[in-house]
Amino acid sequence: MTDEIRLFVEREARLLDQMRYEEWVALFLPDARYWVPVSLDQPSPEAGPSHFHDDIQVLMVRTHRLANPRAFGAEPSPRTVHIVSGVTWEEDEEDILATSSQIMLEYRNRGNFDDDLRLFGGQVTHRLRREGGELRIARKRIDLVNAEGAFNAMLAPL
Amino acid sequence: MATQLREPDRLSPADLVREDAVHRSVYTDPAIFDLEMERIFGRAWLYLGHRSEFKEAGDYVIRHMGKQAVILTLGKDGDVHAIFNRCTHRGATLCAFDKGSAPHGHQCPYHGWMFNADGSVRFVPYDKGYGERLDKGEMGIEQVRIEEYRGFLFGNLMGDAAPPLEHFLGHMKTSIDDLVDRSPTGELECGPYVLRHYYRANWKMTFENLNDTVHPGFAHAASVVSAKAVANEVGGPENIVPTIGMMMANGKPIQFFQDIDMVTAPGGHSYIGGHMGADYTPDTSDAYTASLIDYHGAEKAKEVLSVDRHLMLLYPSSFWHARYQTLRIMRPVRHDLTEMIGFVFRLNGAPEETYRNAIEYCTGANSAASPVISDDLEIYERCLLGNGFGEREWIPTSRGMDEDRERTNSHDRMPATSEGFIRNQFRAWADYMGQA
Repeated sequence: MTDEIRLFVEREARLLDQMRYEEWVALFLPDARYWVPVSLDQPSPEAGPSHFHDDIQVLMVRTHRLANPRAFGAEPSPRTVHIVSGVTWEEDEEDILATSSQIMLEYRNRGNFDDDLRLFGGQVTHRLRREGGELRIARKRIDLVNAEGAFNAMLAPL
Repeated sequence: MATQLREPDRLSPADLVREDAVHRSVYTDPAIFDLEMERIFGRAWLYLGHRSEFKEAGDYVIRHMGKQAVILTLGKDGDVHAIFNRCTHRGATLCAFDKGSAPHGHQCPYHGWMFNADGSVRFVPYDKGYGERLDKGEMGIEQVRIEEYRGFLFGNLMGDAAPPLEHFLGHMKTSIDDLVDRSPTGELECGPYVLRHYYRANWKMTFENLNDTVHPGFAHAASVVSAKAVANEVGGPENIVPTIGMMMANGKPIQFFQDIDMVTAPGGHSYIGGHMGADYTPDTSDAYTASLIDYHGAEKAKEVLSVDRHLMLLYPSSFWHARYQTLRIMRPVRHDLTEMIGFVFRLNGAPEETYRNAIEYCTGANSAASPVISDDLEIYERCLLGNGFGEREWIPTSRGMDEDRERTNSHDRMPATSEGFIRNQFRAWADYMGQA
């Protein structure tokens, strides 16, 4: 099972890197949440604003938009590579809680040399649930090392 | 190339601002930025913080006034004091964190000098080493003048020479009233979590964009199209979540915005009428209305709820959304670098749902990951790049120039599609910049 969880987390990141967004969104349960808090001590998305706090509909808009030529910030599209490391997991009553360390390198060719390359990183927590034999994502939380910091436009999901 | 004004003393801002156009160097020239910091941010009242951020003596936050960092601390005297975040000895900054508690004063990490909330010297270790040459009474940190309006604290670097805050706010007081009056206890609580983004372009871009109602149909077209596609996929607009509704609101026809009012006031301030509609306001729920009636009485409660304004831009540094209890501060860092800091307020006594709506609005309006904001940031940066070259040096600001609907002493009214708010900002800009 350890392998299964690790492979799932790695595959989820790879779908993003390969821009297979429909398959990526399909990993999330209908009532799933994708959350990037603004502070490591933010207890919940209801306690304050977030960098991302998406339900499935917002994830759909986000990824649909990346393919739209009028999404100027996605022109050219951001290209990403995730490095996933140290996947561990534990189980509670109904879910599997997987944590991993991840770094995402993002590139958009705007002719601005090194500024076109950005680095995001932090601890990722997946709350996974088995539905019809398949692992699905109920929650994905990303605690960026610089959660409290200011960010420039983020188009590619982390 | 952009005009490089190496001798700011000779700069005549009148040469850069015309009635219906502005010279592009106001966005691209570092010398102009430096002068703006001195003449605009050094003179205007700037929003610094809210009373509710300070509970116990010693509670502090760091805020910026142009390029200068100030510490706001609640003193034992019950007043909030603002002092520069700079030790008077060697100049090191005192506080490294955005907020915290310093009940015994602010201590410099270098030689241990310690200052009270009001900037006076509390303690100098090894003071005998300085002998009589050190007059501690003279070594206090300068205080920045603070004034409060309904719990909101503003600072002014001109000190006693500044006009009263209420004079600066003028007609825009009504938008702050709009925010405070929505509380069923008269009290607001500034949320502890702050949302920041930045962009590589001039600070004025945000001021000129946030109430521009002609750009959304174009700049935000991608999220409108995607939101509509998702609405179809989930079985129609009745099944969408509010965030998607907010994105779709940008797809309204220009005529819709033409019918809404924009109001400008002296000093560069402005607001436009609300336009996101009742479909994004479950916060006027029965429980909330009842609690407002309890506090204000039926007539006043009705009046409070009938106010429907979108963003109020308080020139040159803050953006107020009363209906969604969101306040943003703009921090100019360089001519080509700007930070936006978003705060959400809780209406004490209101149902929890109103706070959730406010949080959702703030996330959509100020996150760098917001599909709407990320479009704007891209546009700001493209304008900075494009204004750095080419023959044409003047940017027209003439849209809606002959469409004013009303002119009074305190404010003018015009269609929300007008660039009148930009012309109004540059009138204030030229005023500030023209005074040596």
